[in-house]
Amino acid sequence: MVTNLQNSVWLLGAGEGGHGLTPVGLFAYAFLVIAIIFGILTASKNGLNPRYFTNRWTQRTEQLYLFLENMALGIIGPHGKRYMPILFTFWLVIFISNLFALFMPSAPTADLSFNLGMALIAIGYVQYEGMRANGVGKHWTHFAGPKLPIALIPITMMIFVIEIISEAMKNLSLSLRLFGNIDGGHLAAESLNSLGKHIIPVGGMELSIPFGAFLLPIKLLTVVVQALIFTLLFSVYLSLVTHHDDHGDEHATAAAH
Amino acid sequence: MSMLPLALGLAALGCAIGLGMIGMAAMNGMARQPEAIGKMQTVMLIALAFVELVFLLTLFLGANSFKG
Amino acid sequence: MSAQTQESKGMPYPVMAVIGALLMFGGMYLSTDPPSALSFQADLAAQGIPLDLGKTIATIGVFLILFPAINLFFLKPLEEAISERTNTLEEAFTDAESLREEMRTMRSDYERKLIESEENARTQIQSQIKEAQDLRTQMVAEANAKVDEMTRRAREDMESERAKVMGDLRLHVANLAFQATEKILSENVDDARNRKLVDDFITQAEVGTK
Repeated sequence: MVTNLQNSVWLLGAGEGGHGLTPVGLFAYAFLVIAIIFGILTASKNGLNPRYFTNRWTQRTEQLYLFLENMALGIIGPHGKRYMPILFTFWLVIFISNLFALFMPSAPTADLSFNLGMALIAIGYVQYEGMRANGVGKHWTHFAGPKLPIALIPITMMIFVIEIISEAMKNLSLSLRLFGNIDGGHLAAESLNSLGKHIIPVGGMELSIPFGAFLLPIKLLTVVVQALIFTLLFSVYLSLVTHHDDHGDEHATAAAH
Repeated sequence: MSMLPLALGLAALGCAIGLGMIGMAAMNGMARQPEAIGKMQTVMLIALAFVELVFLLTLFLGANSFKG
Repeated sequence: MSAQTQESKGMPYPVMAVIGALLMFGGMYLSTDPPSALSFQADLAAQGIPLDLGKTIATIGVFLILFPAINLFFLKPLEEAISERTNTLEEAFTDAESLREEMRTMRSDYERKLIESEENARTQIQSQIKEAQDLRTQMVAEANAKVDEMTRRAREDMESERAKVMGDLRLHVANLAFQATEKILSENVDDARNRKLVDDFITQAEVGTK
């Protein structure tokens, strides 16, 4: 009985955290997330028609699509529509995973390795797009900063190294931010749950109060904000490499870290 | 006695001050230019994310090095 | 069109899916049986950073499959539906616009016709009034002429009557004078001389009457 109650505590407060999932566990969660995404998308797809959408799920996904499209067009520019598939997928996966993290003991985004994978895809895609937009050579020389006289080659090399490190740090910052927010939420909920452990003695049993559940509102905010931040930063990085006529790039990239 | 809670508290203090300043500046800007709220929110969220990241890095790296 | 350029320039979707599947299985293999090169993960885990590069690689594989899948499964139909809806709306708007244009031209036509007919009516009324006025002046003139004529004729009649009466009178007076003279003189006077006498008398009398 008590163990059952203890087990239900994680449902409300979402416990554990602090350690990664096993590969099989991670992929169980990941495929659950993907199954839910496809369920939502199937429900939305049924409501597609050339006139106006009456299906609720269709309306929601359309709103999400338009929101992301506006964001992409606003940040990346007129060619931002090309990146819609990747942005849409990232948003859905992160959002649904974060929702999982609210009510489940773990979630894909609460796993650093999963987030690092997403960040690697994002930054790798940014590099790929940069090379496609500016040419391979120009993209790499872009890292070396402005053109300096031959005598200043050490400085150019230093700038190059720093830029490369900053690109690598982008991976780390993207993944650690998401992991820290979601896993930190888990840890905080767990700590609050442990505060309320066995504090109500009722007839020989000691009931617990899942104080962690009180964190749900702020965690709900985190869910949306983190999904937004990831796609937003991804768009910003994309816009930095694909705006080749903008010479403020270097400063903006440097300012980003 | 471990100094870890105090250290984390200090880190949280700095992070909170930073977040508050960003929020203050953003709200000032929004109040002055309500038509630019959308853009400001986007930039504000990015800034918030960066400040928060500093605290998270502190939390993970600092706390773990304290532990170890 | 942008999606097509991406498709044509980027990796084809089947290749992406195959690479994704390979990465997935490779990552799972790496994760279940980590080689010695990845032994730093244990240190990181001991420090509280649970990093497993095998899972990362498998995640990349999953996403490589997921992007095209979601794009083909949902985004393409959604974009088509949205663009189709936009087209329908635009068509409806252009239809409404053309109808409005048509209505506007019809109304202006109608207004023009109305103005024309009003103009017509006004000119007709004007011409009628003018005609009536002409007619009136003509009639008045005719009446005046007739009146003048009648007056003239009446005057002529009067004149002639008077002349006739005067002639009669003269003759009567002459006869009276004759008779009176015959009675008075009772002798036969030279007729011619008498006539001359009487004429003189009458002339004097006429002068006197006049």
